[in-house]
Amino acid sequence: MAKAPKLNDRPHVVTANHLSTGDVVYLTAQNEWSRAIADAVIAPNAEAAAAYLAEAEEQARRNIVVAPYLIPVDTQVSPPNPIQFRERIRAFGPTTEAA
Amino acid sequence: MYKYDQLDQTIVEERVAQFRDQVARRIAGELSEDEFKPLRLQNGLYLQLHAYMLRVAIPYGVLSSRQLRQLAHIACRYDRGWGHFTTRQNIQFNWIKLEEAPDALADLAKVQMHAIQTSGNCIRNTTTDQFAGAAADEIEDPRVWCEIIRQWSTFHPEFSFLPRKFKIAVTGSPNDRAAVRVHDIGLRMHKNARGEVGFEVIVGGGLGRTPFIGKTIRDFLPKQHLLSYLEAILRVYNQFGRRDNMYKARIKVLVHEIGIEAMREKVEAEWQAIKDGALQLPQDLVDQIAAHFAPPPFETLPAGIAPEYAQAFRTDFEFGLWARRNTAKHKQPGYAIVTISLKKEGEAPGDASAEQMQAVADIADRYSFGEIRVTHEQNLVLPHVKQADLPAVWRALKAYDLATPNVGLASDIIACPGLDYCALANARSIPVAQQIALRFKNWERAHDIGELKIKISGCINACGHHHVGHIGILGVDKAGEEYYQVTLGGSADQNASLGDLIGPGLDARQVVDAIDAIVETYLRIRQKDEIFLDTYRRVGLKPFKEAVYAAA
Repeated sequence: MAKAPKLNDRPHVVTANHLSTGDVVYLTAQNEWSRAIADAVIAPNAEAAAAYLAEAEEQARRNIVVAPYLIPVDTQVSPPNPIQFRERIRAFGPTTEAA
Repeated sequence: MYKYDQLDQTIVEERVAQFRDQVARRIAGELSEDEFKPLRLQNGLYLQLHAYMLRVAIPYGVLSSRQLRQLAHIACRYDRGWGHFTTRQNIQFNWIKLEEAPDALADLAKVQMHAIQTSGNCIRNTTTDQFAGAAADEIEDPRVWCEIIRQWSTFHPEFSFLPRKFKIAVTGSPNDRAAVRVHDIGLRMHKNARGEVGFEVIVGGGLGRTPFIGKTIRDFLPKQHLLSYLEAILRVYNQFGRRDNMYKARIKVLVHEIGIEAMREKVEAEWQAIKDGALQLPQDLVDQIAAHFAPPPFETLPAGIAPEYAQAFRTDFEFGLWARRNTAKHKQPGYAIVTISLKKEGEAPGDASAEQMQAVADIADRYSFGEIRVTHEQNLVLPHVKQADLPAVWRALKAYDLATPNVGLASDIIACPGLDYCALANARSIPVAQQIALRFKNWERAHDIGELKIKISGCINACGHHHVGHIGILGVDKAGEEYYQVTLGGSADQNASLGDLIGPGLDARQVVDAIDAIVETYLRIRQKDEIFLDTYRRVGLKPFKEAVYAAA
């Protein structure tokens, strides 16, 4: 069995929370923010990831989003699926029906 | 209940105006996130996993029907139509928009509510017995003292930047329903040899990553000295509490490191210097506050069981089941205390929809003098219901899915929001609680098992009180997978104890089977009248451990 790739070798997307609404958002190819991870721009390598994060941090300085960061995703599926369980819950919502 | 005077109202309204300005400056970019974060936290606004979360204070768990209706309004207008009652007797709204938070707080201020003291390293909202002013076993109403503590602690300038947060709980009854031994300070009202009522002061209890049962620092504190003694403890903590390491900054670590004797010496020395000063409580002031908590206009009814209640109990099996678990003894003849379970099997513990909140407010107006309480076990209470009205109250609750007859049973689980909502969590809590509750849904088995307190936390911070669950479950992250550690034998009552770890962690599917195996073992080996905790204390871990790991 092939060894699972390390997190850092995987494609990444940039996520943050929208400042005024608090919504979970993802950076798009147009340098805008979408609530759908399907719209996220995929960084295929570390270089691209750093560039997207730099753009996102600039937008945080301009008070559009709060605390952007990179998350690894599986791009073999559509929409891209975050590798970390916590990020899957952020992307797709709580796993429990509310009252 | 306590009604704001002009000063209280002004403080709350000024706070809303101040926060409105801070939010506007943040959105306009005049404040950075680093500058703004402590300000929003001081107003109960957290940035959680999915969105901003607003934690609203419910001082000592007491709500009027008008306030509960306003919470329903907040849920509908600013959130997604429901709220989550917490283990701190507060309520949280999970999907608040920053731009609307000032409006939500302004709406709360209209009914004398706010989000002050729900975050930050200050003295937090004081908690107490949800049966206060109603319980048959009560020595004195603890709400009077909670309100005095609220007035003293709100925006206390000396204690606004403590080494860490600080939680005080009060019980006025020998049967502790407020978990006072696991708070920074616990106050237990009792009578001394002369028959006077005062406080046993307990200090240094707490849960989280380093759990401790609190230690008695003073056996008997006369009531008029309550504030000066609290102030002395807070001063010693403020001076000696560790600020170098947030994980060692709670008072429990200070008490543990220097010992209760040294702590007592320091506190007594400080107290002697201030006890006869401005903080001594004049009786007329105490009486004024106590007047807010005067009993409602009860009818004079005969002692014993009301005939309407007895009749329904005999003839309606389902009602009888509910009455047996969800009512408690009232001090006033002919009345009962009703606990409304927010633990319908398969639902998220502590969640209530806006419609349910409105229904409870209406039922409280009709049958309980418009009063509601929130419990730290994440249920609601109607404190003053006529026994004769119990069948009608039960029917009214049932229409809104609020009559689950499981208070104190296996499915009445405390669960923190866990990884489904919380930015700090390592694992989910709610789905585990839902699965366990469904496993114990059969009423016959659940009632046969009897009292069993299961408490689940999704991380080491222990909001779900797992250390003091008869069965405690702690979610951990093990290489990206959710695992659960099980502890047995914890208790939060007057005989408080911390649970013992049963063995290696289990995955989410195994943990439900493990709880089942533990309960089956108890049923097999229990002796007459033993609840699970009694059996555990008699036999220890071994048989339970064997049962859990036998199959693995």
